[in-house]
Amino acid sequence: MNGWILAATVALGAGVGTALWGVATGPLRRRVVAQNMSTALVCPALLLLSQGYTRPSYVDLALVLALLGPVGTLVFARLLADELADDPPRAWGVTWAVAGFGAVVVGVVSAATGPSRAMVKLLVIGALLIGGNVVASRALSGGFRGVGRG
Amino acid sequence: MADAVIVVVLLLVGATATTAVAVRDPARQALVLSVLGVVLAVLFTVLQAPDVGLSQLAVGSALTPLLLLLTVRKVRRRARGKGRQE
Amino acid sequence: MSRRVRLWLVAVGGGALAALLVAACLDLPAFGGARHPYGDRAVREALARHTANTVASVNFDQRAFDTLGEMTILFAAVLGCVVLLRQTRDEHRARPEPEPVALPVRRYALVVLPVALLTGLYVVAHGQLSPGGGFQGGVVAATSLHLLYLGADYRALERIRPVGLYEVGDALAVSAYLVTGIAGLIGGSAFLANTLLPYGTFNTLSSGGTVPLLNAAIGMEVACAVVVLLARFLDQAVEIEEEGK
Repeated sequence: MNGWILAATVALGAGVGTALWGVATGPLRRRVVAQNMSTALVCPALLLLSQGYTRPSYVDLALVLALLGPVGTLVFARLLADELADDPPRAWGVTWAVAGFGAVVVGVVSAATGPSRAMVKLLVIGALLIGGNVVASRALSGGFRGVGRG
Repeated sequence: MADAVIVVVLLLVGATATTAVAVRDPARQALVLSVLGVVLAVLFTVLQAPDVGLSQLAVGSALTPLLLLLTVRKVRRRARGKGRQE
Repeated sequence: MSRRVRLWLVAVGGGALAALLVAACLDLPAFGGARHPYGDRAVREALARHTANTVASVNFDQRAFDTLGEMTILFAAVLGCVVLLRQTRDEHRARPEPEPVALPVRRYALVVLPVALLTGLYVVAHGQLSPGGGFQGGVVAATSLHLLYLGADYRALERIRPVGLYEVGDALAVSAYLVTGIAGLIGGSAFLANTLLPYGTFNTLSSGGTVPLLNAAIGMEVACAVVVLLARFLDQAVEIEEEGK
């Protein structure tokens, strides 16, 4: 076991454990934020695991999660909009903290990779991940205002 | 020691799956289920099966919640319509 | 059957299954051992056919016939869904009202849609080289189209999604898989045998013989199947209403 895998283990155990607690209990606004946080934490953990196992092709998993994780949160924001409109989540502190964690992980893993095409891919994943989760957080707190049927 | 990450992820999968069964409301259950999908993908990755992990991510992160929530919406709309008629 | 008898039946069946599972687990090789007889043989075969991703070689070369079965299951499931969720005579379609979407969300959806579509195609095309393949890439590509529903409204999605075309695409992709298999039978040795095409240079896009072709067929099949499936669900949830409302 090396430092990368240890970091991933801590992120998964502490971070995703907390997210699981958040998604299992409390009002709906807390649960949707916790769901968004779980993808935002697992994606950096996958990058750390790929680095720890020295398997660059495992980065594809992080790429797919960085794309589809926020899409999953948008699904909840869109289809639970009526319920969330009464009691919108306000969790910018958590959102930016987790986004910062993602940025740090992408930065460190990119530095370890060195300038190459793999590093460009890592930076793209980082941008998609952070942008996606911030937008998903925005969508949860009133991104779909109407209570329409569309 | 090298298997610590496998143990942690296995525990997470067990806890998430149990939660998904214990939560009763379908919409909230879909939230837990999407977390379960992501955690399962990590389990497949640490067991060195990234192909399966990628399948799980593709299906579990957006597609399953979408299908579930659309079904919930249809059922609720139908219940509302029936309530209005009576 | 009374409740008591049913409970007994479940208890006996469950107990027997648990006993069998425990007995089977006791005979398994230890977790994380170094001896992998099947793995070693599969890797040797995959390398002989210049397929870098052994899983792709197992799925689309060594056990391509099993994949045909899985594809048929998905095809049948979607067919059943289309029949079950059709518009019945006492239902009518209501026009969905457009939903107001916050500007950042709308922009995000429009930017990420092409990126996700491209990623889906990338995962399909690199199936024989890195983790991924037709199924995974097809699902990603199909999901990406639905960003139009999430970021705009249902009518925007309907404009780029003529369901009929995707149904035809689904059937064509299934036929393409079968035709590749029959080509192996006629030109080579057996159904779905990977002996027709040159194996190419190891670890390039064109390596692996028929593996990339079968991967592409599966990718198209899955993408079309998911689009058709979601179209039925969306129609039911958004448009179709019962009469008398």
